Amino acid sequence: MVQIKYLLLISRQGKVRLMRWFGAYTSNDKTKICRELSTTVLARKAKMCNILEYQDHKVVYRRYASLYFVCGISSESSNELLTLEIIHRYVEAMDSYFDNVCELDIIFNFSKAYEILNEVLICDGSMTETSKTNILKTVASMDALETSDNLDQVLS
Amino acid sequence: MASGYAPSAEDVVRRLRPFGMLFETSLKDLIKSIRTAGEDVEQLQQVLGRALAECREEVRAPDVELKANAVVKLTYLEMYGFDMAWANFHILEVMSSSKLRHKRVGYLAASQSFYKDVDVLMLATNLLKKDLRYEGRGDGRHDVLTMGVTLSGLSTMVSAALARDICEDLFGMLGSTRPYIRKKAVAALFKVFLQFPEALRDHFDRFAARLRDEDLSVVSATVSVVCELSKKNPRPFVALSPLLYEMLFTIDNNWIIIRLLKLFTNLAQEEPKLRVKILPKVLELMQMTSATSVIYEAINCIVRGQMLQEDDFDAASCCLQELNKFCNSNDPNLRYISVILFYKIGKINAQFIAEFDALVIRLLKDVDVSIRSRALELLEGATDDNNLATAVQILIQQFVDKDVVSASNLFRPVGTNGIEIEIPASYKTKMVSVILKICSSENYAKISDFDWYIAVLSDLCVVSQDLISTNSSIGYQLADEIRTIMVKVPSLRAKFINTIANLVLNEDITLHMPMILREGYWCIGEYSALLQDGDVFIEKSVMHNRVSPEVQQIMAQALLKVFSNWCNNDPTRPIVHVKQVLAKLIGFYESLTTSQSFEVQERSVEFLEFCKLCDESLEEDDDQDLPLLITEVLPGFFDAYDLNPILHGTQKKIQKNLTLDLDTPFLDDDELEKLLLEDSSKKDSESLLQSDMELDFESDAESVTAQDPHESFSVPEVTKELSAAERHALEQKRKQDRMDNPFYLEADDDSSQTKNSKLIDFGDDENNQTLAQPKSNSTLHLSLTGTATDDSTRKKKKKSKRKAQVLEEEGVPDLIDNPEVYEDPHKTLGSGSSVNSSAINLKVHSKLESFDFTSPQISPDPTPDADTDESADISKLRAKFASTSVDQENDSNDEVVVVKKSKSKSKSKSKKKGFKKSAKKSSEESLPPT
Repeated sequence: MVQIKYLLLISRQGKVRLMRWFGAYTSNDKTKICRELSTTVLARKAKMCNILEYQDHKVVYRRYASLYFVCGISSESSNELLTLEIIHRYVEAMDSYFDNVCELDIIFNFSKAYEILNEVLICDGSMTETSKTNILKTVASMDALETSDNLDQVLS
Repeated sequence: MASGYAPSAEDVVRRLRPFGMLFETSLKDLIKSIRTAGEDVEQLQQVLGRALAECREEVRAPDVELKANAVVKLTYLEMYGFDMAWANFHILEVMSSSKLRHKRVGYLAASQSFYKDVDVLMLATNLLKKDLRYEGRGDGRHDVLTMGVTLSGLSTMVSAALARDICEDLFGMLGSTRPYIRKKAVAALFKVFLQFPEALRDHFDRFAARLRDEDLSVVSATVSVVCELSKKNPRPFVALSPLLYEMLFTIDNNWIIIRLLKLFTNLAQEEPKLRVKILPKVLELMQMTSATSVIYEAINCIVRGQMLQEDDFDAASCCLQELNKFCNSNDPNLRYISVILFYKIGKINAQFIAEFDALVIRLLKDVDVSIRSRALELLEGATDDNNLATAVQILIQQFVDKDVVSASNLFRPVGTNGIEIEIPASYKTKMVSVILKICSSENYAKISDFDWYIAVLSDLCVVSQDLISTNSSIGYQLADEIRTIMVKVPSLRAKFINTIANLVLNEDITLHMPMILREGYWCIGEYSALLQDGDVFIEKSVMHNRVSPEVQQIMAQALLKVFSNWCNNDPTRPIVHVKQVLAKLIGFYESLTTSQSFEVQERSVEFLEFCKLCDESLEEDDDQDLPLLITEVLPGFFDAYDLNPILHGTQKKIQKNLTLDLDTPFLDDDELEKLLLEDSSKKDSESLLQSDMELDFESDAESVTAQDPHESFSVPEVTKELSAAERHALEQKRKQDRMDNPFYLEADDDSSQTKNSKLIDFGDDENNQTLAQPKSNSTLHLSLTGTATDDSTRKKKKKSKRKAQVLEEEGVPDLIDNPEVYEDPHKTLGSGSSVNSSAINLKVHSKLESFDFTSPQISPDPTPDADTDESADISKLRAKFASTSVDQENDSNDEVVVVKKSKSKSKSKSKKKGFKKSAKKSSEESLPPT
């Protein structure tokens, strides 16, 4: 299955909106990857393919509205098409959760975006939950629980 | 009563917090303030700095709510590049809160920042254990989710120690009644196995049983984990293949099928028997499914799993037909991945892709440069003598088109849709080297018209000038190619030398591509007899003043050669003219005598002295004939022997070749005596100079072309001895040989081997003849394997067309098997510069790769692995002690190796097992392991 090394959400202005590293990388590497990828990915034209080789691995990206979803995957045994599909699932899940997700939703609810990502990409990016309903159900019930938690606290 | 319950201000604040009514800066405020700061860098820095300072304060507050808030903010700030590892302990505090809300925040932050922070993980162990055992308290739904959160977080931060501590708990959870928990547990176990492979070995069956889980998502998770694990170490999972094979039939979920295919890819690499068994099924799957990603994965599986045999044309064409469809699709991604697969299939056997040449050539014109770049790699396999010209034409066109739209140099319109494409320098560089590669492949067998190729080469030199600044290796490649063609294609030299002369004298080239000069001058010097206007060339070359010492040293010599040939090929040349040119040369050499480069200085001083002598002799005789010094001595320096193409690295081989007879002198004592007498009677003072210079020249020539030492050292003496008539006879004989042998060009390897081995014995004069015969030791094979099958038929076809004869490279056979690869020094130089130190390596090593699953005992020979660090060894060792205390007595012999590896650390561990044992071990340690 696709082993995803990291997932970045980069806005069209080159700002990082979300980043998830599925491995222990040094902060130097992280900043370097962020910087270089945002420039290379943003520079690519619409008709070009969504796969590029970067350093020792491949990068698959896809643009949704003003956001670029950038995935670093291992080069030797990964399915690029599937990675694109996973990105799409993630966006779909967020779309249903936020009801027409936009960049602002992700900025202000970044922890929710992370939660959803955690449900989509389980276990350091090596596994994927493919059912949107399952993802949403889990996140929703967690939210519900959180609210009741809060209620408990107020009532106490 | 109001007085009885009067909440303090603090209480109110605390109670309002859960509703988002914070009186501290909330995450929302933080984000808003960052956004208002906008593009103003200074202000943004201020805001961020302030926020960080606030977080530092808040995170220390006793109130968990506040802490959690600060942690969320920190997690957000991490995206702006602020490391939050310093707050790890506080994150842990938040994680330990009983509120799910806090837990979520805590675990999220932990998964972002806990990686390999050993101290915190140690503290976290108990908390994690507690959270994992949450089930049974509170209401069911709550538990499930808490565990879910814990497991998600857990899977990202497992360390070796943590893995060992929690693996029992996780295995317990595999039996949970809830699929969600089982799934998460399987996922978390993956990480545990990576860190603590012993767990997998001991509980393999329990884990594998999840493949039969009634819940599909658990099965899917398990397949994924097995797939990932098999990537690291496929061995233990081969046993599962019957079950997995069955699943391939029964499951119709594409996600799982893709994972199964991946899994089989890994297994087939390990177990060759699987390949034959799986292949038909995979092909069938490919035919049945409509999902492109499944088709892609199936082909990937076939290719990467090495299921495609070299001669299996049916399966190959099956795959390639699908890929062909992909290549014709509108989706650039499909085109891209299929081009890559095309290349991989072509690597197995170039024949597979030969019929797709039209497709490849079309892909060269793709809108997407990265696809073009991939297609370039394919080109080598897909070109033959018919389409070579077309392909090269397209590529060169891509250089030229850019020039047409010179308004913005980097852009050019493509086709009708007018999308501007940036053609990066790296792609152009690649184009040049691919053109050179495809043209030169199979010893230029694909080129039917060498005039065309010369034109291409000089075009390339011109268009790739501006690439040199980014990648200088391309200049060296071109230069090498020019020299090779010059040496290898005799019929072409006369024409080519003028092209080279033009290139060398071109100001732009001199400025931008100095690498060409060196080889260019060498060629001109070497074949100066063919140069038309030697005097003009010398005059123009002398004007060149901005050349580097490396070029000067070749140039100095080349010009003298040109002069020598120019003077002598027309006896009616007026002396005055000769004097003029000579004066130019003297001026040139004089300017070099003060060169900083020793090499240049030495040569120019030598040549200068000789030129002065010539000048004097010209002054002395006033008659119309040129002095002997110019007509006889000067050509004698250089024309003694024809240079033949020699295989790269031949010299090195000969140096290593111990069977070489270096002791037998070329001349026995009598002959030598005679020769010396003869010599000294003929020319006294000059002979000394001459031999000096000859030696000098030979060693130089050798440094340029990696000459065979036979030629550089032995041959001049021998040939000197041969009279002109003898040499002529030899030449005749050589020509005869070529005529007689219809397979001259592809003299089969066997016969050349025997011929060559004669050479090694190196008898008296015989070596001259053997040397003169071209030997094929063709390493210029297409790097794609498996072309051999129809090589002969192809070559026959070509032979009829061929206009120019291409010399094969000479070399000696590999007597000693040395796997050393003789690499082009320039090439390594070029590629080395691109792999700079700042390259990122994301490969993560786990202990699983080197783990031996064969027995639950201590592995008899733990192969020392450079990758696994010492701490890995210790934990491995620790685990082994824990799990195998029973076997230890019997296997103490095997342990010796292990103990030795990390002696100091293991001592503390062995204490646990008692002093008796450690004493026993240490006594064994001292024994030499036999």
